[in-house]
Amino acid sequence: MNMVEKILARASGRQSVEPGDVVVAEVDLLIMHDLSGWLTSRVFDKQVGGPVRHPERVAMVFDHHYSPPTEDAADMLKANREWARRNGIQLFDCGNGNIHHTVVRRGLVRPGAIVVGSDSHTPVHGALGAFAAALGNDSHAGTVLPYGKAWFRVPETVRVELVGTPPPGTTARDVALWLVGQIGEGGLIYAAVEFAGPYVKELPFWDRWLFPLLCVDLGAKCSFVEPDEVTEEFVRSLPPGAADRPAHSDGGEAARVLRFDVGGVAPQVACPPTVGNLADVSALAGTPVQYAELGGHAGGRLEDFRAAAEVLQGRRVHPDVRFNVVPSSREVFTEAVREGLVLALHEAGATWFPPSTGSNQAYNMGAMAAGESMISTHARNFPGRNGSAEANMYLAAARTVAASAVTGTITDAGELA
Amino acid sequence: MGKSFAQKALERASGEKDLVPGQIVDAFPDLYMSHTASWRCIRTLERMGVDELYDVDRIAMVMDHISPADNAKTAGYHALCREFADRMGVRKFFDVNAGIAHVVLMERGLIKPGELIIGTDSHSTIYGALGALGTGVGFSEITATWVTGKLWMKVPESIKVEVDGPLARGTYPKDVMLRLIGDVGADGATYCSVEFHGSYVEQMSVSERMTLCNLAMEMGAKNAFVPPDDTALAYLDEAGADRGSYEVLLPDPDAQYRQVERVDGRSLVPQVAVPHTVDNVVGVDEVAGTKVDQVFIGSCANAKYDDLAIAAEVLAGNTVAPGVRLIVTPASSMIMAKAASDGIVSTLLQAGALITNPGCGACAGSGGAMADGEVTFSTANRNFQGRMGSYQSSIYLGSPATAAASAIRGVISNPQELLA
Repeated sequence: MNMVEKILARASGRQSVEPGDVVVAEVDLLIMHDLSGWLTSRVFDKQVGGPVRHPERVAMVFDHHYSPPTEDAADMLKANREWARRNGIQLFDCGNGNIHHTVVRRGLVRPGAIVVGSDSHTPVHGALGAFAAALGNDSHAGTVLPYGKAWFRVPETVRVELVGTPPPGTTARDVALWLVGQIGEGGLIYAAVEFAGPYVKELPFWDRWLFPLLCVDLGAKCSFVEPDEVTEEFVRSLPPGAADRPAHSDGGEAARVLRFDVGGVAPQVACPPTVGNLADVSALAGTPVQYAELGGHAGGRLEDFRAAAEVLQGRRVHPDVRFNVVPSSREVFTEAVREGLVLALHEAGATWFPPSTGSNQAYNMGAMAAGESMISTHARNFPGRNGSAEANMYLAAARTVAASAVTGTITDAGELA
Repeated sequence: MGKSFAQKALERASGEKDLVPGQIVDAFPDLYMSHTASWRCIRTLERMGVDELYDVDRIAMVMDHISPADNAKTAGYHALCREFADRMGVRKFFDVNAGIAHVVLMERGLIKPGELIIGTDSHSTIYGALGALGTGVGFSEITATWVTGKLWMKVPESIKVEVDGPLARGTYPKDVMLRLIGDVGADGATYCSVEFHGSYVEQMSVSERMTLCNLAMEMGAKNAFVPPDDTALAYLDEAGADRGSYEVLLPDPDAQYRQVERVDGRSLVPQVAVPHTVDNVVGVDEVAGTKVDQVFIGSCANAKYDDLAIAAEVLAGNTVAPGVRLIVTPASSMIMAKAASDGIVSTLLQAGALITNPGCGACAGSGGAMADGEVTFSTANRNFQGRMGSYQSSIYLGSPATAAASAIRGVISNPQELLA
């Protein structure tokens, strides 16, 4: 069995499982953000009721709002707080960070665990060697909250092996975006996508993170990187959490293996209207942007701020661009202050925002008028997600976002004068 | 008979002589400030078919309310303002990342002694901290002034406020002003020019004077004034205002005042304005223990550098009480830079504060909204019912120190207990 199969077997009390088996598994962690938490808690209270079976295994993170701009939003957050308190659920209020980074930083996600959440990017936790999948709010209300369990059909594993060394200037984010274009949106429906190969092995934890993150755009059920010493070292840096139960593959072959040489990958831009609509940054060069943002589940990492600070050294943000910088967690914000990144980026003309999902879905910030464009590290670029349906969202790596903030047009950082 | 500051400033702005209170003049303001809602003025111009402006260099536009946009409509208003500024050549245009208009204009040397400044914000009285006559006007007045360059004004009567110091530890200009507003009432200085004098005022920083003049609005003042002295001139030098570009106007020693108010700062304890009016003021101990859900350190009244420093002093080594949200919104980008470079941002973060982008933030309804029954302790200048979300929520106002102390304890608290 591979990692995913072993975790599902363990959590469902079986000796072994095979792809196609349907199992009922004990859930180790349910994560909800302010929007999904509100929907889930309402369904649970109205149609299910009763106590939450394992409140200590449920966490709610307010990340789409950091400072509610409307009374309706305030009402929702208040209802969520009261529901969390009433049910004994861990709450991370506004300003702690975006949901996925927050639960990792606080030590709630452990290797070998089963993690479910309503946010479609929940599979990102496969980066720590967890089985992580996105379920619907009603599934959480109907089975996870009252019984602590969820059913899964064991997915077939597809191994994506990455070899080669990309050119300098191409980052893991570029490679991850590029892969979505190569494999195609919906190309791996309900698969367990394992990211492997020498390129992945060499990546530090927070760069590996970017690959499972994008598996939702491939249609995958879950994704993972086989835990190794990089994973172990990262887990040791976290606050102590529930027991680690790392699972390792026996070495059997995956159902399918896809091999890619990343040696020639140029910095990428995902153009509207979907994440799979990729182009080399050079093809987009010169496209005007009014907003640039480092943030979201795929951004807001220290690595992104360091990369941006490097690009911005001796340069300033273009006067026509609003460059938003949104830490992924309070821990990252604190470290960015310590490293001088907060001051450096601020003085270059960027504006810092509270740890959150930033402009993702524009609940607290990030709305655009018709005809305006943003380039960001976010994970989604669907029309209408950031204000006007006539506005454009381009997705890229931090270096490209920073370089574009400098020129006011989509720019390859390597081309900056 | 001597002249007050307001008489002299309006004589300068209108070119008329020997004005007396009550007289109506056509005045030519030196600067017309308009904030995010400048789009209203732009639309009015469009409707009237006017595209010739009196003097575009007197227009200052700052996108401080609702920044950045959280919906497409607001984003559209911002875009309209940018397009207008670009098309008309408005060089004093400050976008959503600059901060609160009043503070931005003052720290960049665009407000000078003796000038007449009008703004689409009631707290434009703040410009008196640098010896300018600042007053809030409506959008239609700003629009008309864009075109004609002039605005009719009635010469106000003057009130002299004398503040004696020093203040006790844990009390600040905010406490002085809340006490004064509580004493004279929200209409105690309606349409008057309020001049601040006295030993304590002379020792204040410009930032502290800004708090005085900002809050004078809450007693109905037409404008406020602190005599510019070496402290003010040094501030102007640093802000880049050339000394030859302005003339300090001071009231005559025998100027006529409608009344003289005194605040004895030496005996003052921290003050709190309780719901739902700013003149409903009590000593902090009378409301100590009231539970708070949220604390907001922000606004043009009290989110300047020294306000953040005071909050950090109280918060250092402490943490925000569980269940309390502490939102800190620096008044400007320049203040954020200073706070990030000297450890204040770090201290606030460690204490558990949520630090937002500079701007009006929760004070102007862009964030910090409350649900029914919730309570915010705020350093802003207004606590009207429903101003921050639900009509069933409550706002208490006080100094940054009282706000910080209340955040730590989760209930309204006297900062003197923590600063001892």
